[in-house]
Amino acid sequence: MQFLKTFGFRALSLPTLASVIVLFAAVPLIFVLYNSLGLGAERWNGLWSNRLPGLLANTLSLAVLVAIGCFVLGVSAAWLIVRREFKGRTFAVWLMVLPLTIPTYVFAHIYTTLLEPDGWLGFAWHSLFNNSVPIPDLYNIYGVALILSLAGFSYVFLLVRMALLSANRSLEEAARMQGASSLEVFWRVNLPLLRPAIAAGLAVVVLHVLSDFGAVSMLQFQTFTLSIYMQMTGRFDYQTAAGLSLVLVILSLTFLMVERVFRSRQRYYATGQRSRSVLKTATPLQQILIWCWLGLIVCFSFALPLIWMLVWSWEAYSADLIDARFWGYASNSLFVSAIVATLALVAALPVALYHARKHSRYSMACVHMSSVGFVLPGPVIALGILSFIIAWVSPLYGTLAALMIALVIRFLPLAVQSQEAALQQLTPSIEQAGRVLGASPLQNLFRVVLPVIKGGMVSAWVLVFIDALKELPATLLLRPVGFDTLPVRIWIEASEEMLELAAPAGLMIVIGTLPVIWFMMRGEKASQ
Amino acid sequence: MKLWHAVLLILSLMVQSVAVQATDELVVYSGRSDKFVRPVIQAFEKKTGIKVIVHNAKSALLINKLKIEQSKTSADLFLSNDAGSLQVASNMQLLAKLPKETVVKIPANYRAQDNTWVGLSARARVLVVNKNKMNQLGFVKSVLDLADPRLKGRLGITHSANGSFIAGVTVYQKTIGDDKTLAWLEGLKRNSEGKVYNKHSKVVRDVALGKKDIGLVNHYYIYRHLDKNPDAPISILIPDQGEKGMGVAWNVAGIGVIKHSQKKALAMKFIDYLVSEEGQTIFAEVNREYPTRVGVAAAKQIPVSGSYKVADVEMSALGNGRVATIGLIDKAGMP
Repeated sequence: MQFLKTFGFRALSLPTLASVIVLFAAVPLIFVLYNSLGLGAERWNGLWSNRLPGLLANTLSLAVLVAIGCFVLGVSAAWLIVRREFKGRTFAVWLMVLPLTIPTYVFAHIYTTLLEPDGWLGFAWHSLFNNSVPIPDLYNIYGVALILSLAGFSYVFLLVRMALLSANRSLEEAARMQGASSLEVFWRVNLPLLRPAIAAGLAVVVLHVLSDFGAVSMLQFQTFTLSIYMQMTGRFDYQTAAGLSLVLVILSLTFLMVERVFRSRQRYYATGQRSRSVLKTATPLQQILIWCWLGLIVCFSFALPLIWMLVWSWEAYSADLIDARFWGYASNSLFVSAIVATLALVAALPVALYHARKHSRYSMACVHMSSVGFVLPGPVIALGILSFIIAWVSPLYGTLAALMIALVIRFLPLAVQSQEAALQQLTPSIEQAGRVLGASPLQNLFRVVLPVIKGGMVSAWVLVFIDALKELPATLLLRPVGFDTLPVRIWIEASEEMLELAAPAGLMIVIGTLPVIWFMMRGEKASQ
Repeated sequence: MKLWHAVLLILSLMVQSVAVQATDELVVYSGRSDKFVRPVIQAFEKKTGIKVIVHNAKSALLINKLKIEQSKTSADLFLSNDAGSLQVASNMQLLAKLPKETVVKIPANYRAQDNTWVGLSARARVLVVNKNKMNQLGFVKSVLDLADPRLKGRLGITHSANGSFIAGVTVYQKTIGDDKTLAWLEGLKRNSEGKVYNKHSKVVRDVALGKKDIGLVNHYYIYRHLDKNPDAPISILIPDQGEKGMGVAWNVAGIGVIKHSQKKALAMKFIDYLVSEEGQTIFAEVNREYPTRVGVAAAKQIPVSGSYKVADVEMSALGNGRVATIGLIDKAGMP
């Protein structure tokens, strides 16, 4: 009887909760659907023949290029760091995560500045090639792909590293005993086992590409997001913007489903205890090679931009441009991001947990629906939520709560994705064992499920926090009057020209993220 | 330590939310760059003791926001860098009528026909040329010459969603008609070879660097570049002069009072200051724009207003003609 009751509670409440959260997350989509209804057949036809082919080609090829870039950078770095013992290994983990702290629009601006004839890289290029080879131009698909890969490979790194850490070594050891080389082990054992993590990492990356506004607008590369934004701002054309958004949503849902199918074909559960084995220590030559590769990545993904920001922040500081208001923006940013990350984490759990347990069509649909926020361009989400709040909960309007709701919806998928990846490691038998031993669903959640996915939870929190700290378009529209955050200030200072004035704010975003990453690392150490 | 931080954060937030409650303050939705608005606002705050909260975003986003907010808005004024945007806001019934005694200070062609907004500073749509390439550019007398195949790959323009770009095209469209404008746009598209700029300042910079020979920009970007790089080999070319020329396209930045504002009297004080000689002088000096009020001098460097021919198109037409212009731009498939 008791068993039936708890079973009923569990079966009823989790789906209901997940459904409610998903419905909430779908508010912007409903807004888009509603607005695209006004687009007649003729204008759809026009869109289809004029704009869509080019936009599809641009957006898809960009996504593929960035996915390749992030795969190479992220997987290689994660494998080297987790599977080899070398000097500065812990430090290297930090260095691989830090690029996440730099917004893509800052990346794009810094690199275009550095590559100008009088910029550092432009100057270096000229001294190297003696003016005979023109300085590479970033205003093309390869430039944008480079920027987005540098800004996004850390997502792949984080998830792959997590999977490598918790993966059972016995399979690798068995392969080694059978005489496989390191490379063979990597290709034939690691890579297949890592497929879920790599897929989840690349999914996050591709979703970032589909929704990126910063880099593509800075580099003038026409993707869906940029085109949608142009329709809305230059042309006040809501309906076309909504129509394009709808295509973008369908595109990303298709992508997510393909990724799911690919991922669900392979399910691996770690059985038994995680064995503690001694890492292979790299020879001095290997250490040098490892650091050459990691150093190259760090140099372009973090060191150069950081030095640039430091130099310009120092200029701003010397010129007395950093005043009390600046610290106000910084505390606004940190406050909002911390709360949004926490809320997103709580909201994502039922959705991720439901799908991890049920694996039904409906549960998968819930996960997909909750991902919608990520691919819709920020201004579209913001307008959708703005309309929703004014129509249904108008007392909330103009408060911080409105902004936070929007950001939670926007970043919910990030939390769902990483929690779900972590939950895949949760063997059903562990949970069943807990239940058999008499734990209630809630007890089971807190004493079995959460401890197992703690690593995933912490990285989910950090990922959302960092993204919220960098968020611009929704914040611009929904922040309470006079409430400016660091990205808003960067935008205000940079909108006319001169991002130099924005360097201190960019630097502050990096600094604000450091304690969070430190916390993530510490939590990991404690759990090991 | 952590607790202390949290307390500090919450306190600072509370202070901010309390500040919003005060009565003697105005909220301005501003679609203009902060640094061009800040000096005149600081002067106003100092003079009157009224606090002005500036809420920045792109003009179009703010209009969208105002449209959805309607009576829920906390904005008292809408400031924009583009007459077209102001007129769109006016057409959407978002703006209140301004009192006659204020608007008469500004000539009728720089304000809305129904006085829902008033222009504060004007700018001219001109050409920037690289002085070293002048001998190859002798044939350029009009913006229409920018479509000439000789300029293939040599022309710098902003993307077609830029407010100033659209407003300029509206002026040409009203003067030379749809067909000619469409052909011109197609020529521009060919000559820019798909590479357009997101900022006017970058057009000027690339012309100065010799990457492009000629660009279509607002006049003050040229002088701002020269401020920082006095030796840059660029100069202004005022197009469409002479007896048959259509004249230079102008555009204004302006302001209007939100229809649902609860503080209209206070808001009018602000506008009165902006159109006063004192306010207008600040605009002229900081932005290098033409003050709209008659009798206030523009900055020394820029071509004297009245010394050249300006296209005969009313500012309010920039908003009313916008949809038609965008239709043309779409048809031409401008990036």
